[in-house]
Amino acid sequence: MALLELRNVSKAFGGLQVIDRLDMHVNEGEIVSVIGPNGAGKTTVFNLITGIFRVDSGEIVFEGEKVSGLSPHKITNHGIARTFQTLRLFLNMTVLENVMAATYGHTRASIVEAMLQLPRSRREERRIKALAEEKLAFFGERLAGYRHDQPAYSLSYANRRRLEIARAMATNARLLLLDEPAAGMNPHETHEITELIGKLRDDAGYSILVIEHDMHVVEGISNRVVALDHGVKIAEGSFDEVATHPLVIEAYLGARAEAEAV
Amino acid sequence: MRPATRWAARFLCDLPLVSCILFFAELARSVPLGINWSLFFGELVSGLTLGSIYALIALGYTMVYGILKLLNFAHGDVYMVGAFIGYFVLHWLGGPLSPAVTGWFAVGVMFAVAMLGCGALGVGIERFAYRRLRDAPRIAPLISALGVSIFLQNTALLLWGPQFRDYDTFDLVGVKSYHIGTNFFISNVQILTISVSIGLTIVLALVVSRTRTGKAMRATSFDRDAAEMMGISIDRVISFTFFIGSALAAAGGVMFGLVFGQIFSLMGFTAGLKGFTAAVVGGIGSIPGAVLGGFLIGLTEAFATGYLPGGSVYANLYVFALLIAMFLIRPSGLLGSPAIQKV
Amino acid sequence: MSSQGGHQGEDLTAVPPERLDAIEAGVGTDEWVAQAEERRIARTGLSGLVQRGWEGIPPAGHLAILMGPFVLFPFITNEGNLYRYGLLTLLYALLALGLNVVVGFAGLLDLGYVAFFGCGAYLYGIMASGHTGHHLAAQWAIPIATVATGLVGLLLGLTSWRLLGDYLAIVTLFFLQAFVIFVNNANGGLNDFSYPFVGKVDLTGGANGLDQIDPFHLFGLHITTTKGYYFFTLISLTLLMTMLFFVNRSRTGRAWRALREDPLAAETMTIPVNRLKLLAFMFGAATAGFSGTIYGAVQSGAFPGDYDVGLLITIYAIVILGGLGSIGGVVIGALIVNGAPELLRSSANARFLFYGVLVLALFIALRPWYKPLIVLFGTVAFGFAVHGIATAVWSRGTAGHIDGGGAFGRGLEHWVLLPARTNTIAGWAYFALVAAALVLTLVRGWWRVVVLIPTLYLAAFVWENKLVEQVSGATRLILLGALLVVIMNVRPAGIFGTSRVEIV
Repeated sequence: MALLELRNVSKAFGGLQVIDRLDMHVNEGEIVSVIGPNGAGKTTVFNLITGIFRVDSGEIVFEGEKVSGLSPHKITNHGIARTFQTLRLFLNMTVLENVMAATYGHTRASIVEAMLQLPRSRREERRIKALAEEKLAFFGERLAGYRHDQPAYSLSYANRRRLEIARAMATNARLLLLDEPAAGMNPHETHEITELIGKLRDDAGYSILVIEHDMHVVEGISNRVVALDHGVKIAEGSFDEVATHPLVIEAYLGARAEAEAV
Repeated sequence: MRPATRWAARFLCDLPLVSCILFFAELARSVPLGINWSLFFGELVSGLTLGSIYALIALGYTMVYGILKLLNFAHGDVYMVGAFIGYFVLHWLGGPLSPAVTGWFAVGVMFAVAMLGCGALGVGIERFAYRRLRDAPRIAPLISALGVSIFLQNTALLLWGPQFRDYDTFDLVGVKSYHIGTNFFISNVQILTISVSIGLTIVLALVVSRTRTGKAMRATSFDRDAAEMMGISIDRVISFTFFIGSALAAAGGVMFGLVFGQIFSLMGFTAGLKGFTAAVVGGIGSIPGAVLGGFLIGLTEAFATGYLPGGSVYANLYVFALLIAMFLIRPSGLLGSPAIQKV
Repeated sequence: MSSQGGHQGEDLTAVPPERLDAIEAGVGTDEWVAQAEERRIARTGLSGLVQRGWEGIPPAGHLAILMGPFVLFPFITNEGNLYRYGLLTLLYALLALGLNVVVGFAGLLDLGYVAFFGCGAYLYGIMASGHTGHHLAAQWAIPIATVATGLVGLLLGLTSWRLLGDYLAIVTLFFLQAFVIFVNNANGGLNDFSYPFVGKVDLTGGANGLDQIDPFHLFGLHITTTKGYYFFTLISLTLLMTMLFFVNRSRTGRAWRALREDPLAAETMTIPVNRLKLLAFMFGAATAGFSGTIYGAVQSGAFPGDYDVGLLITIYAIVILGGLGSIGGVVIGALIVNGAPELLRSSANARFLFYGVLVLALFIALRPWYKPLIVLFGTVAFGFAVHGIATAVWSRGTAGHIDGGGAFGRGLEHWVLLPARTNTIAGWAYFALVAAALVLTLVRGWWRVVVLIPTLYLAAFVWENKLVEQVSGATRLILLGALLVVIMNVRPAGIFGTSRVEIV
């Protein structure tokens, strides 16, 4: 059984059908890349999965349980966490606090326990801190110890992207949704990110759904690729299969003009 | 969450709405059967008059919110200043008993000076209290607006005292009452108020939809940065918006003085609150919505005062209940459109 | 600051701090960017020293420094009025602390907050007063009133479940109006509702208020003096500050801050945003309710007129001035904002305060040191000149007197114009002063010095002839309103808040 399944999912905004009867799945331990020209509905798929938008019809099933229709924080608690295309960190909180904040869902100490500093609250704090440091350590020197108490707005762009991934990891998710993780990066940073995503799957055991435009990254990480255009799945398979698929080429480059087809 | 807790939470969430409905039902029960037409028409006219004033205030709120996403708390106090300017102009012209010019001309001068003066005041407020805070966190301009509101209210209190001032419309233009049949009465100032209000709204709607400045206003309210990149001077557009909104509020203030006679320094507070309620009920950002909302609030207040037990005391509460009900049923208001947030 | 700031070129992101000194400063270098921000924020000179010293002390030390004066205060003096002033300051600080949780931690704009304050007072009064005939001991009445007010907050907060922040402001403001109307009329009289089963009940004593509220009878202890309430409030405030400090560092505090930063991102990171907003609302309401019980006992009554927008503005001013989200800041804010009305009660004191603040503001706002001195001497000279001319030309302009000002007042009589009939001219002068102040914000450099001289003289004129009349009423609120506008425009973070970066 697939880890995540989208069954016949549709979504329209007003008169515009953004997602049209989409079937998609992610198996455990694999990386699936979603590609497509701008406006194809890729981020909308993410928003539907994470509950920010409601599906008009169809359903989304995670680990056998239906998650479409739940509120976002419940869906994340089930095990799906995401990053954002335009980076949405808690800028005025420190690096460590950003990651610690995301552990809310699997901690229990109430406000009263915190106010009175009861044992459970103190124990959880230590555990949360250790967990956050562990997730940050995944990124090696980049988000190393001395950075932990710096405010998030002081980080460089690439580090902010890494922090967002670390924050998503802290939710104890099993499926990560990465929205254009390599956007705005130079070749060196892109290479690092590609290796990092691979590490997330191989060392940390995450299943990952990635939206990406950079084909080098897609080629480097994907087990499978799904191509969308105007809300419809037009191709699915390995990178080579999808990259040479006529519909995909047409979506990106346009159809050959009649006059040229002599 | 356990099912029992979930059920309880859902029940609690619906509780306010259910309370509102029960509240209105209970009140409706106490309305006497058999219609007293004289009372009905009296309250109807009163409600429409009041409503047109609220509509004018609501227009200012709705326009500013549409462009800046700012709740201009000071707007109600601009309305109050307008009423006072009208009063002082009247006395500068010699007072209601011996005006230097004929009554209606004096009224016209009062309107003109009040609208221009408050327009300038509105532009000044925006320039000094809000301009720097355009990109600040949402709470900053709200607190600033609160500060301006308190400043204006208490300046009026300090300079002009807490006592009521009277427009004395009776001596100024004479209050003539017209009637249709035996039950429908309406006075000349009430007709003036309703028609001027509708007239100004039509002018505003034409400006917004037909002129270049109006188009610039609409563009700015959709996407400020894009509008700026298209060559629209955002500062001018926003100043213009404040000018018009404040001028309309001033007109409302003068009208209030003419119809209801008495003005005082704290009148802006509740009027502003109800004006904002009208804007929200009608759909914030929508000009016809503001007018519709204004009339609705005015009618609610009038009919509550006339028909319901303890009406005049609790009239504000009924308006409050209407607001809550609207929020719960249809948050975007009657004529507004729900906002879509792009993630 | 935008959320994207990528750079091309050498990747220096992985350099440990020891090597930082060796890095060439340059735009695009990661560490340099981070440090530049710190350098900009850290102030130089005396204030920088104080700030760094403050940050070096552990939090317990902060608490000791803030609350120490309040603890030592009773050993220094015994004057009743000062106790009342101190008690009121502490109560306002308590109120502001609760509001800080709602506004500063969770970012909700609650404009009906003082209604919860009133709720607590009335509920306590219903349970323990001569008016209603019940005399529940304080150890039961206080917790019940506090929790009940929290539940009222819960109900009001539920209406915000689907509301945007802006609309919540209006709903809560209306709630305050509704509360005042209700409390003014729920005396079983003509305008009151007829409740099912019991008919009309006198709940609140109507416009005359709920009087004869019992003093605190706590576990056998009777608190009847102002001094007693002072200590009770001091202990409560200190405890609450400590507990909030812990909350800030706990998961709830982090969740609140995340919610304030970006509610959507927080929601997708397992944080139940709506539930937390509700929690903040309840917490604030409960704190206000608790403060209300103290106030009700101190006043021996709960009166509708006490819970109005004026008090709301005062509490907001305290929170904003002290810094949104800063626990210690509310104490300083309360001292400053509440100090004014107490000191302003006598016009002589108010006079000292007014001129003192003007001079202080002058020295803070103008650098370097010689500019404020020039302005000061210039204004004094200008004043004497104008006064001299006026004595010669317009005798009615200097006919007035300053009452009760002592030597300072008599000196002022020779400096400020005091017309015999002040009304119209003072009004125009007021407008001129506002205009001049606004012009001041538009000019720069030496022009500012030049414009300041007549402006300050005008300010003194308006003060002596108009503002002094209504010192504890309208004037105080005028100054508070102006203060709010100025703070928001100049230093939104208040005294102790940290400047925040915002995603646009």
